[in-house]
Amino acid sequence: MNLGLGDGLHSCVQCGLCLPHCPTWRVTGDESFSPRGRIALMRAVQEGGAPVTDDVADSWDTCVLCRGCETACPSGVPFGELMEQTRDTLAAAGRITPLWERAALRCLAHPGLLRAGTRVAAVAQRVGLVPRRLGLPRLPLRPEPMRASGSDVWLFTGCVMDAWQRDVHLATQRVLEAAGYGVRPTGDRAPCCGALHRHAGLVGETRSLAERMVEALSGDAPVLVDSAGCGAAIESYGRLLGTPEAEALSARTYDVQEWLAANLERLPRIEADARLHERVAVQDPCHLRHVQRAHQATRVVLAPYVDELVELDDEGLCCGAGGAYSMLHPDLAGAVRERKLAAIGRAAPDVVASANPGCSMHLAAAGVRVAHPMSLVWEALSATR
Amino acid sequence: MGSVPAPDDALVSELRSILGPDGLRVDSAERALVARDASVFDRGRSGPVCFPRSADQVRAVVLAAVRHGRAVVPRGAGTGLAGGAVPLGAPVVVALTRMNRILEVDVGARVAWVEPGVVNLDLTRHLRPLGFHFAPDPSSQQACTIGGNVANNSGGPHCLAYGVTTSHVLAVEVVLPDGEVALLGGLDPEPVGYDLRGAFVGGEGTLGIATRIAVRITPDPKAVRTLLLAFDSTVDAAETVGAVIAAGIVPAALEVMDRRITEAVERYVHAGYPTDAAAVLLAEVDGAPGEVGTGAERIADIGRAHGAVSVRVAADDTERAALWKGRKTAFGAVAQIAPNYYLHDTVVPRHALAEVLEEVYAIAARHDLVVVNVFHAGDGNLHPLLVFDRREPGIMERVLAAGSEIVSASLAAGGALSGEHGIGVEKRDYMPLMFGPDDLDHQNRLRRAFDPDCRANPGKVLPVGHSCADIQALERVPTGVWG
Repeated sequence: MNLGLGDGLHSCVQCGLCLPHCPTWRVTGDESFSPRGRIALMRAVQEGGAPVTDDVADSWDTCVLCRGCETACPSGVPFGELMEQTRDTLAAAGRITPLWERAALRCLAHPGLLRAGTRVAAVAQRVGLVPRRLGLPRLPLRPEPMRASGSDVWLFTGCVMDAWQRDVHLATQRVLEAAGYGVRPTGDRAPCCGALHRHAGLVGETRSLAERMVEALSGDAPVLVDSAGCGAAIESYGRLLGTPEAEALSARTYDVQEWLAANLERLPRIEADARLHERVAVQDPCHLRHVQRAHQATRVVLAPYVDELVELDDEGLCCGAGGAYSMLHPDLAGAVRERKLAAIGRAAPDVVASANPGCSMHLAAAGVRVAHPMSLVWEALSATR
Repeated sequence: MGSVPAPDDALVSELRSILGPDGLRVDSAERALVARDASVFDRGRSGPVCFPRSADQVRAVVLAAVRHGRAVVPRGAGTGLAGGAVPLGAPVVVALTRMNRILEVDVGARVAWVEPGVVNLDLTRHLRPLGFHFAPDPSSQQACTIGGNVANNSGGPHCLAYGVTTSHVLAVEVVLPDGEVALLGGLDPEPVGYDLRGAFVGGEGTLGIATRIAVRITPDPKAVRTLLLAFDSTVDAAETVGAVIAAGIVPAALEVMDRRITEAVERYVHAGYPTDAAAVLLAEVDGAPGEVGTGAERIADIGRAHGAVSVRVAADDTERAALWKGRKTAFGAVAQIAPNYYLHDTVVPRHALAEVLEEVYAIAARHDLVVVNVFHAGDGNLHPLLVFDRREPGIMERVLAAGSEIVSASLAAGGALSGEHGIGVEKRDYMPLMFGPDDLDHQNRLRRAFDPDCRANPGKVLPVGHSCADIQALERVPTGVWG
């Protein structure tokens, strides 16, 4: 099968240095679940004419797409691109991403539908019909609306996060306002970034969502994102669409912590004794650390507002959330999370700061107290006002 | 799993009952993947792939293989550079990656008991809060396993001062090729009897499978100083190394990289490596806070006297770590130049370093090949990497011919075939260049004492003509959709 892979396939020398940075290799010890193995299978299929057996499809389908192997690779293998392209080909051939999953993903681009579904789930939650292990935050019956306070910056609100974690967006907006920015939430005009569609190999739908974003968010205002996965997706639009407008949008998109770290002097200072009296562990979402490579900013922004920041000792290994991965591959995702839980246990924090909704829900489902960095900063700022 | 007809139904069902459905793979894609390691050798054939979780399971797997007349090949992370873990003739492959527990750390006795699948750097990370580390630090230490280190008697940059793996292994619990379990060595400083532990370390899986390893743990040095010296010629760098050792200094590490590889690693690590120098020398001294400064100054002076154009001392741990990250990821960075490498591992006397290096460049030029050099200069351990694209017709023959000339040049200068990567299958047929028939015969007898029936990693280390060199099982190669 021609997977449509380009020369990137030949930038891997099979050294194996990526293995320990791959969450699925870490929990299986199995070459089929490693970046090196997945690339070797791509080569065998595309160049050696080997068939795509179920085992081969499974090897590719179980990749979390955390891209931790990319920061570990001395030869700069574009693993994410290779895997996305492979999945596009497999999805087009109907080998991965079943119809129910495609239907569910389609809902993400319909905010009204998503809100209605969320209201139903919120009611179900209150009568005890939603198991805690799903990790859903307490869903609002009547979410507080978001209102524009200016037009200095866009705040990208997205799909599931807006429906389920509106409180994080509100905290982010207030922190930005405290720094003197007029904030315009993107709302329904740009309903979804398409990151999950891309993971599932639905490249056509990703493209049309991206085009919609490019059109809706025209102008020069920076686009700030408080979801690491969405930020990474928008920053890849230039490559995906190849238009000057898409490239411009990618270039003016920033993770909100990255933006604030570069403008730290605009944030109000607080007295040392007004800091949150918490020991905060920073969990780096993979798409912040390995894709955007902007994870240090979280520490810069948090440090003035909390008593103590601690690091996890697992070198940024994925937590297993992976967008919809934790729902599609619960066993692997659970095993990967065990490693993260052990690292959190060693750091012994009061709270874990995570700048990505998927990670925070996945960890919360295992009983970890998780908060978005912006929520923590706003908690500290609001207490002193 | 299981979509492919099993190669050997009775064996497979026996293995499955030992390991459970999750602990065995027989599909042809998986078998194709474990047929490789990080070397260029690609003619391996794997049988069923086992993922034991305990020594009992390893033993049961070995006994099942014995009953079915199949050979057994152990595998760690597959980062080997000589094809040691490459299965020949479709043996049972035993992947030890799931036996990855650190069982016990005794700081007082300076011993840690680990399972073979523990990743080298994971052990050092685990020991860090205690102020200790595991001294052997192969460049692949972030991925390679301690079982693999034992099998290959692996070295690493810091083995110049601290010694290679065998100096850091006190005891090994092994499953012998007939399924018997034995403890070789012991925690006593002077175990009674022959040093079978010493024989086992470096056995490349031909003497049995380690299931539990007692390693020596080393206290972290009080102070460390890392220097980076740049030179206009590789020869100047090599001569500096000789002069440093001749001056009686024993640095913790002395590593040389030539320009092409330095450029590649710098693009990855951004550590500030000079990319316009013909060669760089990474030197490290450790010890008491007072003495490292003096040692570093002496090395810098010797370097300048031998033409160093710049000397930089790493300001802090972050800078040190970045420099080391560059050195340790060098092999992996070569795809920036070309997608394949063929790597040798010869050791030459330090006084001959400069001369052999020049010969290596000349050999590559004669064969119209790119060679890059990155090596443990302090102990004369060369790592010439022939870098190429195997899709180019006829290039493999040129690469093998050049490799053979490099080996001959090293041996002619009084060197040895392998410093630390092992012999495996890639260097096997060079063994007669270094050892006479008597030497090889004695090695063969040692092997047969452990493995009379040639079941343990056959086809490795000893060349054709010696027992366990001919692969018996070829006619039993399983076929599946992946061949």
